[in-house]
Amino acid sequence: MGMSVSGGGGVKAEPNVTPMIDVMLVLLIIFMITIPQINAGFKAVPPEGQNLKPHPEVEGDQVLGIDSEGRYYLNKRPVRNEDLETLVKQIYETRTEDKIMYVKAHRELQYLKVVDALDRLARSGVAVAALITEQAPGTESLIESDKLLGSKPSGGQ
Amino acid sequence: MSMSADSGGSNLSNDMNVTPMIDVLLVLLIIFMMIIPMSRKAIDTQLPDPNPQPQNSQVNPDQIVLEILPDDKYAINKEPVEKAALLARLKTIYDPRPEKIIFVKGDTMVAYHTVIFAMDQARGAGVKVIGIPPK
Repeated sequence: MGMSVSGGGGVKAEPNVTPMIDVMLVLLIIFMITIPQINAGFKAVPPEGQNLKPHPEVEGDQVLGIDSEGRYYLNKRPVRNEDLETLVKQIYETRTEDKIMYVKAHRELQYLKVVDALDRLARSGVAVAALITEQAPGTESLIESDKLLGSKPSGGQ
Repeated sequence: MSMSADSGGSNLSNDMNVTPMIDVLLVLLIIFMMIIPMSRKAIDTQLPDPNPQPQNSQVNPDQIVLEILPDDKYAINKEPVEKAALLARLKTIYDPRPEKIIFVKGDTMVAYHTVIFAMDQARGAGVKVIGIPPK
Protein backbone atom coordinates (compact mmCIF):
# COMPACT_ATOMS: atom_id res chain seq x y z
CA MET A 1 0.00 0.00 0.00
CA GLY A 2 2.79 2.32 0.87
CA MET A 3 4.26 1.34 -2.48
CA SER A 4 1.12 2.35 -4.34
CA VAL A 5 1.20 5.79 -2.69
CA SER A 6 4.78 6.33 -3.77
CA GLY A 7 3.75 5.27 -7.25
CA GLY A 8 1.17 8.06 -7.17
CA GLY A 9 3.92 10.52 -6.19
CA GLY A 10 5.92 9.42 -9.22
CA VAL A 11 3.02 10.25 -11.51
CA LYS A 12 2.81 13.77 -10.15
CA ALA A 13 6.55 14.40 -10.48
CA GLU A 14 6.47 13.80 -14.20
CA PRO A 15 5.37 17.00 -15.97
CA ASN A 16 2.49 16.81 -18.37
CA VAL A 17 4.15 17.41 -21.75
CA THR A 18 1.06 16.95 -23.89
CA PRO A 19 0.15 20.68 -24.06
CA MET A 20 3.75 21.53 -24.91
CA ILE A 21 3.73 19.02 -27.75
CA ASP A 22 0.44 20.49 -28.96
CA VAL A 23 1.91 23.98 -28.98
CA MET A 24 5.05 22.83 -30.75
CA LEU A 25 3.09 20.96 -33.40
CA VAL A 26 0.98 24.05 -34.02
CA LEU A 27 4.15 26.17 -34.28
CA LEU A 28 5.63 23.63 -36.69
CA ILE A 29 2.53 23.78 -38.87
CA ILE A 30 2.52 27.59 -38.78
CA PHE A 31 6.17 27.69 -39.89
CA MET A 32 5.56 25.11 -42.59
CA ILE A 33 2.80 27.31 -43.96
CA THR A 34 4.54 30.67 -43.69
CA ILE A 35 8.03 29.78 -44.96
CA PRO A 36 6.94 29.09 -48.55
CA GLN A 37 5.00 32.34 -48.50
CA ILE A 38 8.04 34.28 -47.33
CA ASN A 39 10.02 32.96 -50.28
CA ALA A 40 6.94 33.42 -52.42
CA GLY A 41 7.66 32.73 -56.03
CA PHE A 42 11.43 32.53 -55.80
CA LYS A 43 12.35 29.06 -56.87
CA ALA A 44 15.78 28.32 -58.28
CA VAL A 45 17.84 25.19 -58.29
CA PRO A 46 21.45 26.30 -58.20
CA PRO A 47 23.96 24.37 -60.30
CA GLU A 48 26.25 21.81 -58.75
CA GLY A 49 30.01 21.92 -58.59
CA GLN A 50 32.95 20.46 -56.77
CA ASN A 51 35.67 23.03 -56.08
CA LEU A 52 33.61 25.61 -54.25
CA LYS A 53 34.45 28.20 -51.64
CA PRO A 54 32.41 28.10 -48.43
CA HIS A 55 30.53 31.34 -47.80
CA PRO A 56 28.73 31.08 -44.45
CA GLU A 57 25.78 33.44 -44.32
CA VAL A 58 26.51 36.72 -42.57
CA GLU A 59 24.26 39.57 -41.51
CA GLY A 60 24.05 42.12 -44.30
CA ASP A 61 24.64 39.71 -47.20
CA GLN A 62 22.92 40.80 -50.37
CA VAL A 63 21.48 38.01 -52.48
CA LEU A 64 20.23 38.40 -56.02
CA GLY A 65 18.01 35.53 -57.09
CA ILE A 66 17.26 34.75 -60.71
CA ASP A 67 14.52 32.20 -61.24
CA SER A 68 13.98 29.88 -64.19
CA GLU A 69 12.03 32.59 -66.00
CA GLY A 70 14.84 35.12 -65.60
CA ARG A 71 12.98 37.24 -63.03
CA TYR A 72 15.05 39.03 -60.41
CA TYR A 73 14.62 38.75 -56.66
CA LEU A 74 16.61 41.04 -54.37
CA ASN A 75 16.90 39.31 -51.00
CA LYS A 76 13.94 37.12 -51.97
CA ARG A 77 11.69 40.08 -52.82
CA PRO A 78 10.61 40.28 -56.44
CA VAL A 79 12.16 43.24 -58.27
CA ARG A 80 11.39 44.62 -61.70
CA ASN A 81 14.35 44.09 -64.04
CA GLU A 82 14.69 47.80 -64.80
CA ASP A 83 14.63 48.73 -61.08
CA LEU A 84 17.51 46.43 -60.16
CA GLU A 85 20.32 48.86 -60.92
CA THR A 86 18.91 51.72 -58.87
CA LEU A 87 18.15 49.47 -55.91
CA VAL A 88 21.56 47.81 -55.94
CA LYS A 89 23.26 51.19 -56.37
CA GLN A 90 21.49 52.49 -53.26
CA ILE A 91 22.77 49.54 -51.24
CA TYR A 92 26.37 49.57 -52.45
CA GLU A 93 26.94 53.33 -52.48
CA THR A 94 26.76 53.48 -48.70
CA ARG A 95 28.30 50.08 -48.08
CA THR A 96 31.86 50.19 -46.78
CA GLU A 97 32.42 46.44 -46.50
CA ASP A 98 33.36 44.22 -49.43
CA LYS A 99 31.38 44.98 -52.54
CA ILE A 100 30.27 41.38 -52.84
CA MET A 101 26.89 40.20 -53.98
CA TYR A 102 25.62 36.65 -53.96
CA VAL A 103 23.90 35.49 -57.12
CA LYS A 104 21.63 32.48 -56.88
CA ALA A 105 20.54 31.63 -60.37
CA HIS A 106 18.64 28.68 -61.77
CA ARG A 107 20.90 26.02 -63.25
CA GLU A 108 19.13 25.67 -66.60
CA LEU A 109 18.96 29.41 -67.20
CA GLN A 110 20.32 30.74 -70.45
CA TYR A 111 23.74 32.28 -69.72
CA LEU A 112 22.69 35.49 -71.45
CA LYS A 113 20.27 36.17 -68.58
CA VAL A 114 23.00 35.66 -65.98
CA VAL A 115 25.59 37.75 -67.78
CA ASP A 116 22.97 40.43 -68.23
CA ALA A 117 22.36 40.50 -64.48
CA LEU A 118 26.11 40.49 -63.73
CA ASP A 119 26.51 43.41 -66.10
CA ARG A 120 23.83 45.36 -64.26
CA LEU A 121 25.53 44.58 -60.95
CA ALA A 122 28.92 45.69 -62.28
CA ARG A 123 27.39 49.02 -63.33
CA SER A 124 25.80 49.39 -59.88
CA GLY A 125 29.05 49.21 -57.95
CA VAL A 126 29.36 45.49 -57.20
CA ALA A 127 32.95 44.26 -57.57
CA VAL A 128 32.63 40.57 -56.79
CA ALA A 129 29.74 38.29 -57.68
CA ALA A 130 29.67 35.06 -55.71
CA LEU A 131 27.76 32.56 -57.82
CA ILE A 132 25.94 30.28 -55.40
CA THR A 133 26.57 26.66 -56.28
CA GLU A 134 25.71 23.49 -54.45
CA GLN A 135 28.30 20.91 -53.54
CA ALA A 136 27.73 17.90 -55.76
CA PRO A 137 26.82 14.97 -53.51
CA GLY A 138 29.74 12.85 -52.43
CA THR A 139 32.40 15.34 -53.52
CA GLU A 140 34.75 17.61 -51.66
CA SER A 141 36.69 20.62 -52.83
CA LEU A 142 40.25 19.73 -53.84
CA ILE A 143 41.55 23.18 -52.94
CA GLU A 144 43.32 23.43 -49.59
CA SER A 145 42.09 26.92 -48.71
CA ASP A 146 38.45 25.87 -49.23
CA LYS A 147 38.86 23.02 -46.77
CA LEU A 148 40.38 25.34 -44.17
CA LEU A 149 37.47 27.74 -44.53
CA GLY A 150 35.02 24.90 -44.28
CA SER A 151 36.44 23.57 -41.01
CA LYS A 152 36.28 26.91 -39.19
CA PRO A 153 33.45 28.94 -40.67
CA SER A 154 34.09 31.95 -38.42
CA GLY A 155 37.38 32.58 -40.23
CA GLY A 156 35.51 32.99 -43.49
CA GLN A 157 35.11 36.74 -43.45
CA MET B 1 -8.60 -0.05 -3.01
CA SER B 2 -6.70 -2.71 -4.83
CA MET B 3 -8.62 -1.49 -7.90
CA SER B 4 -7.41 2.04 -7.55
CA ALA B 5 -3.82 0.89 -7.13
CA ASP B 6 -4.13 -1.26 -10.23
CA SER B 7 -5.64 1.43 -12.41
CA GLY B 8 -2.99 3.90 -11.28
CA GLY B 9 -0.29 1.43 -12.19
CA SER B 10 -1.74 0.69 -15.62
CA ASN B 11 -2.05 4.43 -16.35
CA LEU B 12 1.60 4.86 -15.65
CA SER B 13 2.69 2.14 -18.05
CA ASN B 14 0.24 3.29 -20.73
CA ASP B 15 1.67 6.83 -20.86
CA MET B 16 4.63 6.72 -23.18
CA ASN B 17 7.61 8.73 -21.99
CA VAL B 18 8.12 11.17 -24.87
CA THR B 19 10.52 13.53 -23.11
CA PRO B 20 13.76 11.97 -24.46
CA MET B 21 12.29 11.95 -27.95
CA ILE B 22 11.47 15.65 -27.72
CA ASP B 23 14.98 16.34 -26.42
CA VAL B 24 16.51 14.56 -29.38
CA LEU B 25 14.22 16.32 -31.85
CA LEU B 26 14.99 19.76 -30.39
CA VAL B 27 18.72 19.10 -30.60
CA LEU B 28 18.34 17.96 -34.22
CA LEU B 29 16.32 21.08 -34.99
CA ILE B 30 19.02 23.31 -33.50
CA ILE B 31 21.77 21.45 -35.37
CA PHE B 32 19.96 21.90 -38.69
CA MET B 33 19.30 25.58 -37.99
CA MET B 34 23.03 26.03 -37.42
CA ILE B 35 24.21 23.99 -40.40
CA ILE B 36 21.98 25.29 -43.16
CA PRO B 37 23.25 28.91 -43.22
CA MET B 38 26.83 27.72 -42.69
CA SER B 39 26.85 25.37 -45.65
CA ARG B 40 26.38 27.95 -48.39
CA LYS B 41 28.99 27.65 -51.13
CA ALA B 42 29.80 29.81 -54.10
CA ILE B 43 32.33 30.62 -56.80
CA ASP B 44 33.68 34.16 -56.58
CA THR B 45 33.90 36.05 -59.85
CA GLN B 46 35.37 39.48 -60.52
CA LEU B 47 33.00 41.73 -62.39
CA PRO B 48 34.30 44.10 -65.05
CA ASP B 49 35.19 47.64 -64.02
CA PRO B 50 32.27 49.83 -65.14
CA ASN B 51 34.62 52.74 -65.91
CA PRO B 52 37.62 51.13 -67.58
CA GLN B 53 40.82 53.14 -67.84
CA PRO B 54 41.83 53.80 -71.44
CA GLN B 55 45.15 51.95 -71.14
CA ASN B 56 43.30 48.84 -69.92
CA SER B 57 41.47 48.50 -73.18
CA GLN B 58 44.65 47.13 -74.73
CA VAL B 59 44.41 43.35 -74.65
CA ASN B 60 47.05 41.69 -72.53
CA PRO B 61 48.57 39.01 -74.80
CA ASP B 62 49.35 36.79 -71.83
CA GLN B 63 45.79 36.42 -70.56
CA ILE B 64 43.86 33.17 -70.71
CA VAL B 65 40.29 33.25 -71.93
CA LEU B 66 38.17 30.15 -71.53
CA GLU B 67 35.21 30.17 -73.86
CA ILE B 68 32.13 28.05 -73.43
CA LEU B 69 30.56 27.41 -76.81
CA PRO B 70 27.18 25.89 -77.62
CA ASP B 71 26.84 22.08 -77.73
CA ASP B 72 29.13 21.55 -74.74
CA LYS B 73 32.26 22.72 -76.58
CA TYR B 74 35.09 24.62 -74.89
CA ALA B 75 37.99 26.70 -76.15
CA ILE B 76 41.03 28.13 -74.40
CA ASN B 77 42.33 31.21 -76.22
CA LYS B 78 40.31 30.13 -79.30
CA GLU B 79 41.86 26.66 -79.30
CA PRO B 80 39.15 23.99 -78.99
CA VAL B 81 39.39 21.64 -76.03
CA GLU B 82 37.34 18.53 -75.33
CA LYS B 83 35.16 18.59 -72.23
CA ALA B 84 36.97 15.56 -70.78
CA ALA B 85 40.40 17.08 -71.42
CA LEU B 86 39.54 20.52 -70.02
CA LEU B 87 40.83 19.97 -66.50
CA ALA B 88 44.11 18.42 -67.65
CA ARG B 89 44.66 21.19 -70.20
CA LEU B 90 44.00 23.93 -67.63
CA LYS B 91 46.35 22.22 -65.19
CA THR B 92 49.21 22.16 -67.71
CA ILE B 93 48.61 25.85 -68.38
CA TYR B 94 48.31 27.00 -64.76
CA ASP B 95 50.87 24.80 -63.00
CA PRO B 96 53.88 26.82 -64.22
CA ARG B 97 52.04 30.17 -64.35
CA PRO B 98 52.50 32.54 -61.42
CA GLU B 99 49.32 34.52 -62.09
CA LYS B 100 46.27 32.36 -61.56
CA ILE B 101 43.78 34.51 -63.44
CA ILE B 102 41.27 33.28 -65.99
CA PHE B 103 38.57 34.99 -67.97
CA VAL B 104 35.49 32.88 -68.50
CA LYS B 105 33.45 33.96 -71.46
CA GLY B 106 30.29 31.98 -71.93
CA ASP B 107 28.31 32.03 -75.13
CA THR B 108 24.97 33.71 -74.55
CA MET B 109 23.09 30.60 -75.69
CA VAL B 110 24.67 28.06 -73.32
CA ALA B 111 23.05 26.94 -70.07
CA TYR B 112 24.28 28.57 -66.88
CA HIS B 113 25.38 25.27 -65.32
CA THR B 114 27.86 24.56 -68.12
CA VAL B 115 29.54 27.89 -67.34
CA ILE B 116 29.63 26.97 -63.66
CA PHE B 117 31.12 23.61 -64.67
CA ALA B 118 33.89 25.39 -66.56
CA MET B 119 34.59 27.73 -63.62
CA ASP B 120 34.62 24.74 -61.31
CA GLN B 121 37.19 22.98 -63.49
CA ALA B 122 39.29 26.13 -63.60
CA ARG B 123 39.30 26.39 -59.80
CA GLY B 124 40.24 22.71 -59.67
CA ALA B 125 43.21 23.46 -61.93
CA GLY B 126 44.51 26.05 -59.48
CA VAL B 127 42.93 29.26 -60.79
CA LYS B 128 42.52 31.81 -58.00
CA VAL B 129 40.71 34.65 -59.76
CA ILE B 130 37.87 34.21 -62.22
CA GLY B 131 37.05 37.27 -64.27
CA ILE B 132 33.91 37.93 -66.28
CA PRO B 133 34.84 39.88 -69.41
CA PRO B 134 32.69 42.90 -70.22
CA LYS B 135 29.99 42.29 -72.82
